[in-house]
Amino acid sequence: MPRIANLIFAGVVCLIASMLSVAVWQSGTDANTPPGVEESAQSSVAQSSVAQSSVAQLSDKAKTTYPVIVRKPSGPPRIELAGADPQGRTGSVACSTCHSVREPNLENKTAATLDEFHQGMTFDHGAIACYSCHDPGGSDSLRLADGTKVSYQNVMTLCSQCHSKQAESFAHGAHGGMNGHWDLSRGPQMKNNCIDCHDPHSPSYPKMIVGFKPKDRFNEPPTDDHHHEGAASHDDH
Amino acid sequence: MTTTEPSTKRSLPIVENFGRRAAVKGAFATLGAGAFVAAISPLRQAAKNSSAAEFMQQHYTELSADQKADVIARLEAETKEQYGADVTIADDRPIPGTKFVYAINLSVCNGNGKCVEACHKENNHDRDTNQSYIRVIEMPKGTMDMEQGSTTYSGAVPKDDKFYLPVQCQQCDEPPCVDVCPVKATWKEEDGIVVVDYNWCIGCRYCEAACPYHARRFNWKKPEVPAEEINPNQSYLSNRVRPVGVVEKCTYCLHRTRRGKLPACLEACPTGARVFGNILDKDSNIRWILENKRVYILKEELGTKPAFFYYFD
Amino acid sequence: MSSITASPQSTGPPEEHESHVTSYPRFIARSLWLATEGSLAFYAWMTVLTALFLVGANAWANQVAGGMIGTNMTDHVSWGLYIANFTFMVGLAAGGVMMVIPAYLYHDRKMHDVVIIGELLAIAAIVMCLLFVVADLGRPDRFWHMLPGIGKFNWPISMLTWDVIVLNGYLILNLHICGYLLYMRFLGRKPNPVWYVPFVMLSIVWAISIHTVTAFLYCGLGGRPFWNTALLAPRFLASAFVSGPAFIIAAMVLIKKLTGVSGLDQPIATLARIVRVTILINLLMVASELFTEFYTGGSHVSAAKYLFFGLHGKTALVPWTWTAIGLNITAALLFLWPGLLELRWRPLLVAACCMAFVGAWIEKGMGLIVPGFIPSTLHEVVEYVPSQLEWKVTVGIWAFGLMVFTIAIKTALPTLKHPAEH
Repeated sequence: MPRIANLIFAGVVCLIASMLSVAVWQSGTDANTPPGVEESAQSSVAQSSVAQSSVAQLSDKAKTTYPVIVRKPSGPPRIELAGADPQGRTGSVACSTCHSVREPNLENKTAATLDEFHQGMTFDHGAIACYSCHDPGGSDSLRLADGTKVSYQNVMTLCSQCHSKQAESFAHGAHGGMNGHWDLSRGPQMKNNCIDCHDPHSPSYPKMIVGFKPKDRFNEPPTDDHHHEGAASHDDH
Repeated sequence: MTTTEPSTKRSLPIVENFGRRAAVKGAFATLGAGAFVAAISPLRQAAKNSSAAEFMQQHYTELSADQKADVIARLEAETKEQYGADVTIADDRPIPGTKFVYAINLSVCNGNGKCVEACHKENNHDRDTNQSYIRVIEMPKGTMDMEQGSTTYSGAVPKDDKFYLPVQCQQCDEPPCVDVCPVKATWKEEDGIVVVDYNWCIGCRYCEAACPYHARRFNWKKPEVPAEEINPNQSYLSNRVRPVGVVEKCTYCLHRTRRGKLPACLEACPTGARVFGNILDKDSNIRWILENKRVYILKEELGTKPAFFYYFD
Repeated sequence: MSSITASPQSTGPPEEHESHVTSYPRFIARSLWLATEGSLAFYAWMTVLTALFLVGANAWANQVAGGMIGTNMTDHVSWGLYIANFTFMVGLAAGGVMMVIPAYLYHDRKMHDVVIIGELLAIAAIVMCLLFVVADLGRPDRFWHMLPGIGKFNWPISMLTWDVIVLNGYLILNLHICGYLLYMRFLGRKPNPVWYVPFVMLSIVWAISIHTVTAFLYCGLGGRPFWNTALLAPRFLASAFVSGPAFIIAAMVLIKKLTGVSGLDQPIATLARIVRVTILINLLMVASELFTEFYTGGSHVSAAKYLFFGLHGKTALVPWTWTAIGLNITAALLFLWPGLLELRWRPLLVAACCMAFVGAWIEKGMGLIVPGFIPSTLHEVVEYVPSQLEWKVTVGIWAFGLMVFTIAIKTALPTLKHPAEH
């Protein structure tokens, strides 16, 4: 629609005027664009932020590329002791503290069939067994479906076996939260890993409570159902 | 214009005769003029808040480098004076070879509103109204008809039978808001961002009427932000504290994105539903999404050609 | 009174060869003197208007000083009472042309004698239009940004710039036509048609244009389905040709009563016949608009639904709308009755005109502007009821407009009383 308007108006505005204005405009932008960076860098108001951006511009030329850093778990999980041991000690222990001396039950699939430990654990991750992911041969690491050991730090390799769609999206920035830079020539990007957001034992994303709402004047106060009417529309105060 | 009546009456005595009637008329006209001056006296208060330099300031695109530096120094001083905060106002220009595009994964967004809050803080919005450039609509599954949505939902999200549609400025390639502005106070820059010169806008709000996405906000009053909450990292066309009586809008956080960083709403999103990038870069995430996902464009039928896409897994 | 004889009113027509440099200021002075002469009732009327205007000016000054938070407009309903009145006023200004067309195109002598009333109304209405726009601006101090040359004028893309041009152009055209005719009369000369007839012809086209362009302001916005209809401009014109002539008829009845200007009856009848047709055309257009909306259904109908029945339990405009519909239909029926033109039914004619006028004001003001924003573009329903401050400013501008109109009519009274001496 604006295009059509443009065409019509182009006929209305005489040729010389448009050529003149284009010439003026062009000289204006020629004068404006290149000094854009320099000028803010040299002006007294240019502070570190602007200086940074001009540094980044230089590094652009040098083709420096910052990495995409995917966060990793610090290591195998530690199990908090429930209560104190007979010596009165509390704290956390490695998985292997117990599991190195116990026979793995490859059949076990839920916390309900456990009688000694992990009873309170919620498990809601399909019909897979504990040892589908945990390594029966070494409890401080995980294992892939083909039996290859994989460290807890590289848990994403494990997840990706089944969740290849998500892994693909993740690889392309279409899954998972991130921070930092979109432009890797100017700075790095930090990304969450799978278990930052998904509890591996109960991976569906948790519910959240809406905290912040714009309070427009005269908008009705938040209600679950906007068909239901509050009496007063003057909400705040 | 409004003073015509009393002042012209006052000019009567210059006519040949100073009759009694003329004198009476003159007296009443003077009285009227005086009453008028008294009536509009609140304007003096308003005049105190705006300097001559601000009044005379030229359009952003016509400022020379020196003038720009002066303007920015003045704005920083004003922020210090009026808000008590030390801020840095930069003049971030588009990065050559970039066109910013945003995408939101509607399969993932759970409507938690963290983006709304992040926008509020990042962009120095008025604290009192919780102003933000983003609105999230809770929609029943099975429809794209916003008529059935609600922005005032609360409680635990996501609800099972709902999905969530965050809406902010779509940085249209055919922006109706830019077309309607009578004074060219808003325009589209080379990297696709539609910006507003807050010092040029006359506050007619025609753009607000023209925008199909409710993306524009008007400063009905002077924004109130406590000094310690002011984000000091500012840009002239972006998140500097806006004056009263002008229109503002989302700039994809150009004070961040033109320095290579991600927008505040994206960083705040805990679900990772938001993706931002340069569509001119063939290897960018955003390109991959547009090529590989099912993409939905809000109100596509209006022909605004948004640089904002919704996609589904 | 003896002082009157010494007043400039007694200044006769100037010498034949007096220069315009001296005679024009004398013309202005005499007009002003005339405009401020009158009965006690006139002074009371002007005092009331001045008082109301001052209240409005004060409210506006407070609005500028404190920000538009004093209004009840929101980011959802970002235009309100001011723009509603602006739209209506453009119609009133354009409505004056319904006197000009019979007078100049169809050489209706009687109409020609009093056509200046329509032109003066146009001036007053345009002044009000401009004031309403200024009142609506968030930064009136930056008005100069719109001035071509020193500011930046987004012409031809922005419809608002077109509106600025056509409104100011129409104001200048009418000021020229009225000013020229009155000045020639003051000089005692026969007006030279070369100096005003082309401008009158131009003003006819121009009157149509001001309202068309004003409609284009709204109907060009794809995001507002309620406005986005090709019928808007014709509808605007039709209702303008109801409200304009209705106001003029009422004004002429009043002028006849107060000043004894004769020769108004035939123009009144002509205008009443015009309203008889235009009011029906307007109703027809409203009906076709509503049919399209409601029969089609879908989400496009929500604004109309809000206007007529309320949406999600919000019904602020419903009583207004039905009042407008009721007034318009009653007025239409009254105008259809041939007896209305009889002299003894004058009060009824005035009542019918008032109904048509108020009906058009609601329909084209709040009834058009507000539903454009409700539901909002994200389909939120946030209602709008003007604040006290907005009413004050609006009343102030109306008072000022009536003041301008009264003064203008006063100035033109001699011409109206003794027309066609040439």
